Amino acid sequence: MKEKKLKYTLISVASIAAFLSVWYLVTDVFHIFPSSTFPSPVKVAQAFIRKLTVKTPDGGTLATHLAASLKVALYGYLLGIGIGVPLGILMGWFRKVDLIVKPIFDLVRPIPPVGWIPLMILWLGIGMRAKATVIFVSAVTPSIINAYTGIKQTNSVHIWVARTFGAKSLETLIKVGIPSALPMIFAGLKVSLGASWMALVAAEMLASTEGLGYMIQMNRMVGKADNIMVGMITIGLVGAMLTWILEKLENKLVKGGRTK
Amino acid sequence: MRKKIRFQNTKAETAVYFCASLTGLLLIWYLAVRYTNLNKVMPSPFEVFAFVGSSFVKNIGSRILPFHILASLKRVFVGYFLACIIGIPLGIIMGCSRTGKAVIKPIFELLRPIPGLAWIPLAILWFGIGESSKYFIICVSAIVSIILNSYSGASQVDPILTGAAKMLGARPIQIFFYITLPSSVPQIFAGLQVGLSSSWMAVIAAEMIRASEGAGWIITTGMESGNTVQILSGMISIGLVGLLLASLLRLMERGLCAWNIQGK
Amino acid sequence: MEHSGKIKKDAMILCDHVSKSFVNGNETAEVLKDITLSVEENEFVVILGPGQCGKTTLVNILAGLERASGGEVTVNGKKVTDPEPERGVVYQKTALFPWLTVEGNVGFGPKMAGVPKKERKERTKHYIELVGLSGFEKSYPIKLSGGMRQRVGIARAYCNNPSVLLMDEPFGHLDAQTRYLMQEEVERIWSQDKRTVIFVTNNIEEAVYLADRIVLLSNCPTTVRNEFKIDLQRPRDNMSSEFLRLREEIGRHVEMTR
Repeated sequence: MKEKKLKYTLISVASIAAFLSVWYLVTDVFHIFPSSTFPSPVKVAQAFIRKLTVKTPDGGTLATHLAASLKVALYGYLLGIGIGVPLGILMGWFRKVDLIVKPIFDLVRPIPPVGWIPLMILWLGIGMRAKATVIFVSAVTPSIINAYTGIKQTNSVHIWVARTFGAKSLETLIKVGIPSALPMIFAGLKVSLGASWMALVAAEMLASTEGLGYMIQMNRMVGKADNIMVGMITIGLVGAMLTWILEKLENKLVKGGRTK
Repeated sequence: MRKKIRFQNTKAETAVYFCASLTGLLLIWYLAVRYTNLNKVMPSPFEVFAFVGSSFVKNIGSRILPFHILASLKRVFVGYFLACIIGIPLGIIMGCSRTGKAVIKPIFELLRPIPGLAWIPLAILWFGIGESSKYFIICVSAIVSIILNSYSGASQVDPILTGAAKMLGARPIQIFFYITLPSSVPQIFAGLQVGLSSSWMAVIAAEMIRASEGAGWIITTGMESGNTVQILSGMISIGLVGLLLASLLRLMERGLCAWNIQGK
Repeated sequence: MEHSGKIKKDAMILCDHVSKSFVNGNETAEVLKDITLSVEENEFVVILGPGQCGKTTLVNILAGLERASGGEVTVNGKKVTDPEPERGVVYQKTALFPWLTVEGNVGFGPKMAGVPKKERKERTKHYIELVGLSGFEKSYPIKLSGGMRQRVGIARAYCNNPSVLLMDEPFGHLDAQTRYLMQEEVERIWSQDKRTVIFVTNNIEEAVYLADRIVLLSNCPTTVRNEFKIDLQRPRDNMSSEFLRLREEIGRHVEMTR
């Protein structure tokens, strides 16, 4: 058993090594692709180190762009889940809220978050507020859907038990509904996070003067592919890190496992 | 008997609330635009509807609205199709073979966290500003969920069913075609659905950044000329088409996965 | 009545000192211990076991889905190593293919073997009729009741024309009423189209109703405790005094094996 595991780990390591070496071979060794559009991994690593201190051509170091992006993303995301989760819970628990809010929600939902960008720029300019609003829109939808479904799926037997013991509706919601919906809510938070991060990049590419999305867009205009890749890798890494933090949080908060 | 009446009531209630809630929304929108300062940045709903209607005969830019939508749909079709023919087999290989998984998964996990839209600058640099860069972006955006779901579908085949097939004399290749594939279809469809909505989003984003036609182009040019009516009309069309695409796929799923739908 | 399990070396199925244990870290769980039994051709043998452990493992070993840790199983003198069409299995959880219709499920085995379509159709039809499901050919399993699903499972196993049928608590999930009905059905189907059957259950009445011979197992690690030959006339009346006497006698043995 252990030997087999080792074998597959080795294959995985070899696979990544092969990926990197093919990348290296087609660029720096055989020059199949010009390094101006397809830089080698070595060049990307050099650009990464350079970008830590050099501000050209996009007006900021990697750290300043990252900080700008994180600030906007967290702002919009926290607002989105702060409103989305409670709204979803209310929609799931109270029929009246469901009946009134659901039609509007279903109407707005099919519009992809990036579709809101032009309107928001027109209304709020290209600053922080427009971007945060777009991220808010992308974060709020999955939060609502998952909180709603989570509450709707609450085991009715558990609700009956709570009722039989004399719990009132609000009490039942807090003691039974929300805890049992928690795994679902967390899944929504994760989807929201991915959507926010994606929307952030789009918003920054379209209208911004800082941030990771702006950085890759500017470097596209001056044709610096190595910096674009640095930006993309940073976006990917930070996105993965945020998801990882959320998962750790989930493991801490969701007791009793995900089994149903 | 009693149950039936109550069921009808619920349905009627939903319909009443549905209408009331939408009329309420429109009314607030209309009144707000009519009687407050909001009319400086926001058109009334009727202006927007009139614009959508007229754009079926009057050009926006170089063509009428349906042709813009068709241009976007064509891009989605090509990019999405590419994502399907690459993503489904990759996912299934990952799910069926441990070696395949060991080879593909690490590279996939390495690339997965990069959002599809973050590929836009590189795609433009690689493929120019024409159609191929858009196909690429759409494909990259759609492929992640397609691979993931095909993978989990193929790896979660019930071992009892595989055992039953062996007992009935199926050889490994037959097990793959008659057990693994059909049993992962519902999961694959779930991935296709998420993938389709990602492609729709990706085409809008790609068109917003560089294009001369398409639904995304409508809203960006609306922004550049400060035309909120055009933006809102574009958004509504985008929403409607997105809804249509999702329902089409759901219809297809209902046909293909009839066996998986509960209800006696 | 009671007879010591002497094995005949020329029997159709031979379970020769089979044992099975699972290793989990440093712990070893012994599930089957030295099981020896033989089954004649066209005999209906019921393996009656009270506990949770061992019965399904034994069926899986007989089917070839699992390997024994010690001893061996031979069918018609051939050692069992892999699942084979000659040994059909009817599962407790039915294990029907949900994406295939009743027809598709029943005809699955012949299709895999490459039987021509026309012949396959006829055979499928025949066995669907035999289990009493005519009219449901085009239904998906999800639309069928538990009893009907189990009928499909039986037809599917039969349609592959196995010489041995292994039935692993096939009625364990059914309600009592359906269970009685299905017992009668199995008896009827088997009488019409005889095969060698090994039927596993934890229900004494079911065992006495169906068996030519009952093999009583003990619990954890599972061994053969006793064998009983049942000579009652078929179809049996489970209210007759002879039936009730047998049931009680075997019941006492089951209690003693605890």
